[in-house]
Amino acid sequence: MHRRDFLWAGSGISMSWLLAACGSRGPKEAERVLSYATRKNEGVERALFRHTSMDETSAKWRNAGAALPSYFIAKTVPVWDTAARGPWTLEVTGLVRTPLRLTLETLQRLPRVTQRVNHYCVEGWTAVESWTGCRFSDIAHAAGVAPEAAFVDFQSFDDGYHESWDIESAMHPQTLVAYGLDGAPLAPAHGAPARVYSPVKLGYKNTKYLTRIAFLPKANGGYWSDRGYEWYGGT
Amino acid sequence: MKVHRHHWFVRLTHWVNVIALTVMVTSGLQIFNAYPQFNRRGESFCCYPFAGHDIPRWATFGGWLAGGRHWHFAMMWVLAINGVAYLVFLFFHGEWRDLAPRRGDVRDAWEMMKFYLFVRKHHPHQGKHNALQKFTYSALPVLGALAIVTGLAIWKPVTLAPLTNALGGYALARYWHFLIMVALVALSVMHIFMVFAVDPYSIRSIVTGAYNSERSPELRDARPFYHLFTRGQTTEDSDASA
Repeated sequence: MHRRDFLWAGSGISMSWLLAACGSRGPKEAERVLSYATRKNEGVERALFRHTSMDETSAKWRNAGAALPSYFIAKTVPVWDTAARGPWTLEVTGLVRTPLRLTLETLQRLPRVTQRVNHYCVEGWTAVESWTGCRFSDIAHAAGVAPEAAFVDFQSFDDGYHESWDIESAMHPQTLVAYGLDGAPLAPAHGAPARVYSPVKLGYKNTKYLTRIAFLPKANGGYWSDRGYEWYGGT
Repeated sequence: MKVHRHHWFVRLTHWVNVIALTVMVTSGLQIFNAYPQFNRRGESFCCYPFAGHDIPRWATFGGWLAGGRHWHFAMMWVLAINGVAYLVFLFFHGEWRDLAPRRGDVRDAWEMMKFYLFVRKHHPHQGKHNALQKFTYSALPVLGALAIVTGLAIWKPVTLAPLTNALGGYALARYWHFLIMVALVALSVMHIFMVFAVDPYSIRSIVTGAYNSERSPELRDARPFYHLFTRGQTTEDSDASA
């Protein structure tokens, strides 16, 4: 074969490969490279992460209000059934000195923070909202976190939805356990009675309908992380 | 006359860029389809007439949102490193002199436009590239750099909050990122069109490096689809033209 023929054949093959690739997930062999890149990206993201990097919103931006999408994995809005399950509590457990079981009232007695921040959805939209709650770091300090606790799993009563985080992101000053939205108590559509809320993670990392905070030595995946989305999901 | 036109490093980075840019654009459009509009929730957005309309599937890559994201966040390193390597090579090897617009290129670009629009009879005299090419090929790295900067702003809007805020916030930064992509695609489509319509002989030069200088657009007086197969005058005679 002449070199010219070879080149024409080669470009023909690569063109048809490109056309066949349209809309596809790409070659199977690439998946190892992609997960390698995801791991390396996570390294870069964690190296750049600072507790002093704060999310900011402009006064010119409007709060999403009713336009804030509600999202849960159960078939209907998960509502805590006090009659069947007793009063709602938030369990703080795992690698801590003092495991806690916090009622909503105890949670609300912790220093109260209201922050107007962006919600970053993995889909590419953002929504500005004012969230009220207590800092995750205050809960962590109250429980006394062991030094080997490097990860935190946020678990819910929404059909087992959970997402685990690196502890650095959880301890960020803008990471709240939120029980209020736009000055009102958190509604069931948005994760009542309490949920994780932080602009430092994508929406899917912010577990709603929170029931349990577990401090762990290792990451514990998560609902969307186990379904192919980045586990780190940092902003 | 056969001349050597493109250094192997330029050819290599060109084709790596073809793959990287194609994957970046198509995987980016896959991500875009998860929310094909630019408004914050509860707000409207002034400047995107196709809000809510999906990009056709044939223009996307990655299969689904997470797939598109994985490809995008992996290939961005290839695009960036390849681009920087190309620019460093251009600088140290001196090739930037053939590409950087200089005094007189605005007028020469105008003359090229006149020639393409049949206002001017003969192809203006040029060096390795004509003035329109020089502007295009210099704009591409600038747009590439802007794509990276706006891309970083929406990849890490909190970690890089000062950057994202400087671009007007996440929603606007995402819009700039999209517009820059449109510009890159427009210039690339124009580039490919001109290669096939004016100088298909240059394909050989970006693959093997060799170029038949007697087939140059200047010697053929080639406009899009005009004098495509004409053999040009020899280099010695060409001075009389223009």
